[in-house]
Amino acid sequence: MQFDEKLVRDIISEVLKNYNLGGANSATSTPSRSVSAASDIKFRELGTPTTGGPDEVFIAISPAFSLGQNQTISKLPHKDVLRELLSGIEEEGLKARVVRISHSSDVAAMASAAAKMSGSGIAIGIQSKGTLLIHQKDLPQLSNLELFPQAPLIDLPTYRAIAKNAAKYAKGQSPEPVPTKNDQMTRPKYQALAALLHIKETEYVDPNKQPVELGVSF
Amino acid sequence: MSKIIVGIDIGNATTETALARIENSQTTFLSSGIVATTGLKGTEDNISGVFESLKKALDKAGLELSQVSEIKINEAAPVIGDVAMETITQTIITESTIIGHNPNTPGGLGIGSGVTISLEDVLSATTSQDYIVIIDKSIDFEEAANIINQATNRGFSVKAAIVQKDDGVLINNRLNTKIPIVDEVTFVEKVPINMQAAVEVAAVGEVISQLSNPYGIASIFNLSPEETKYIVPIARALIGNRSAVVIKTPKGDVTERIIPAGHLQIQGENPLINFNVGIDKGAAEIMKAIEQASPLENVKGEPGTNAGGMLERVRQVMAELTNRVPSEIQIQDILAVDTFNPQKVVGALAGEFSMESAVGIAAMVKSDKLQMESLAKKIQEQLKTNVSVGGVEADMAILGALTTPGVDVPVAIIDMGAGSTDASILTGKEKSVASVHLAGAGNMVTLLIQTELGVSADLAEDIKKFPLAKVESVFHVRHEDGTVQFFEEALPPHVFARTVIVRKDAGELVGFVPIPVNISLEKIKKIRREAKTKVFVVNALRALRAVSPTGNIRDIDYVVLVGGSALDFEIPQLVTDELSRYGVVAGQGNIRATEGPRNAVATGLVLKS
Repeated sequence: MQFDEKLVRDIISEVLKNYNLGGANSATSTPSRSVSAASDIKFRELGTPTTGGPDEVFIAISPAFSLGQNQTISKLPHKDVLRELLSGIEEEGLKARVVRISHSSDVAAMASAAAKMSGSGIAIGIQSKGTLLIHQKDLPQLSNLELFPQAPLIDLPTYRAIAKNAAKYAKGQSPEPVPTKNDQMTRPKYQALAALLHIKETEYVDPNKQPVELGVSF
Repeated sequence: MSKIIVGIDIGNATTETALARIENSQTTFLSSGIVATTGLKGTEDNISGVFESLKKALDKAGLELSQVSEIKINEAAPVIGDVAMETITQTIITESTIIGHNPNTPGGLGIGSGVTISLEDVLSATTSQDYIVIIDKSIDFEEAANIINQATNRGFSVKAAIVQKDDGVLINNRLNTKIPIVDEVTFVEKVPINMQAAVEVAAVGEVISQLSNPYGIASIFNLSPEETKYIVPIARALIGNRSAVVIKTPKGDVTERIIPAGHLQIQGENPLINFNVGIDKGAAEIMKAIEQASPLENVKGEPGTNAGGMLERVRQVMAELTNRVPSEIQIQDILAVDTFNPQKVVGALAGEFSMESAVGIAAMVKSDKLQMESLAKKIQEQLKTNVSVGGVEADMAILGALTTPGVDVPVAIIDMGAGSTDASILTGKEKSVASVHLAGAGNMVTLLIQTELGVSADLAEDIKKFPLAKVESVFHVRHEDGTVQFFEEALPPHVFARTVIVRKDAGELVGFVPIPVNISLEKIKKIRREAKTKVFVVNALRALRAVSPTGNIRDIDYVVLVGGSALDFEIPQLVTDELSRYGVVAGQGNIRATEGPRNAVATGLVLKS
């Protein structure tokens, strides 16, 4: 599937219509002042990623991230989430590289694939609904360094903290695991929605499509 | 005529058994047993531990309880110890003078000084002076960088920034003109506006030089020699930081306050010798008084202080053990150790911690006799075997220690346990034994590690017992001595990139336990070794001086280290190394050439019969 910027914009506005919500709605949910309307990330395809130096951390975004969907399950705009992830890695002095994984919507598979390309061996995998984990290239696919399964409870500062930790793993520092909230009611409350979002995510899976590195601007 | 004899040593931490066959006055050791002591030493609770330890030894030798003709238990020295910690200094910042904290990732480099101004106001300020902008958490890093860039373009001179969020590097990366940026200043709203301030950030791996130097601060703020005197504590507090902010406020000050930690009343056996030492004077003063007053009659603490409470607790426990009133129980020894205790700085703007001075105190009480006879009777009733109290613990330990190959009289032993360090000496084959019990042992080491690292007691205990390593990849670790170990299978992910404790059981690697604090391996190792030195090396010297017939350590030829702490991976080396300076042959005991430093008393009990 070929797509350019215009197509991306079309799809996004299409999805926005489906969701029936305005940008202002999601803007109020974030404390930061420079908040934008939902999803206007500009992606630039850079081709198949090659492994770089030890000072890089990969961020693997899912097939539908900012494409079929533009906000997480807790209605955080993908733009803001991705920006926090990039900022966390940059604040630690490392380079962040974004790669779109299209062959799987499984967060562990995505992150594991990206970790194997990452020069530091560290990658963050994130799904459209906001679920994410930190992976390392030598770990079995179903293992991980840190997993954040309850996406509805993750806020923007936590996304930043997770990215900082990923960078610290890459530096060989000994980060304290990111503290996360836990709420037993999350599962019953969000299970149906999570399943729905995952189905929408999986619709974008193309088993034959290679990972594509993306230039990101907001 | 052959008979089976059992010696059982009920210690503070472990109950140890030695099982032997005696045939025509020839003693053959058959087996040993060891279990954790159940209950407090000298109480009825011990019986189940005794039973289990005995059963272990019997099982190993393939014998039945009915075949045992006699059981001997130790006449336990009723010694218990306890530990407490008093913090004696406190750093207080009045008004908002300094932020000397160490954010992990400050931005920029160098030093900048100017007048503090909030970021919103910088574009409408007058252009004639230098500014330091204050950026609170409501401002995004991109916006902050934009405003600073705009300000610079319009000819404003922004020299540095103080940021509330962890955005230092992010802002710096977006600036056209680089400035030093200190971030993670939690209480940024307390930073006064319109005051002279200076911000310094050092390069990675370096520490600030200007703001940690009183004359450096004086040069920036044009201070008079009088004023320079007052900023010395500020400069001192900033030494070793990678970044700092100093703000010149009219009344701002940093003081190091000495917290009244109470006094210790030390009474020597000679009624004329008594001292009243303030704990805030530090460990050296306390130990000097102890040395001068010893042998001690009693030590009392001040009610309401940690040390006073601990001394009372020790008295209470011993009183219950021996059926006496607490006021009759007397403290026989004290070990005081200087240490550091990380505490939040009062009035700090960034939640800074300061390593405050503290004194750790271990105390030891000794009573005349525990209820060992009645304990022996009760064991006899339950086991239906002849049980007797075999002999004084110190004598038995020496007898046992003599079975270590290569040891001869005159010999001294140092029994390094959990609650106390005991020493005794045998000067000739038939000569009597002199012994001493000192406060401070394994538990004290754990307390020191716990305090200095600010970790839980359980973790401190593990840090004490096992060496460290750094997990460098999923497949290899680097041990604390620099050696690398590879693994066929991937290590568990939760240890990845972390400093870990190398847990071992009987020399076999059991697993890695991550240390959840952000302190380097080298620092933890240093703190661990220092804690062991401060307690065991100091106590070994104190103990040998006390038992040496001449009072001189050099007159002792052989020293055998026994007890649980002698099993430690580095304590015996630390002690051996120190004693070698006195020309003393010292080393870990190897009871009966098979038991290592364990089982000395139990073995001695069998040999005595």
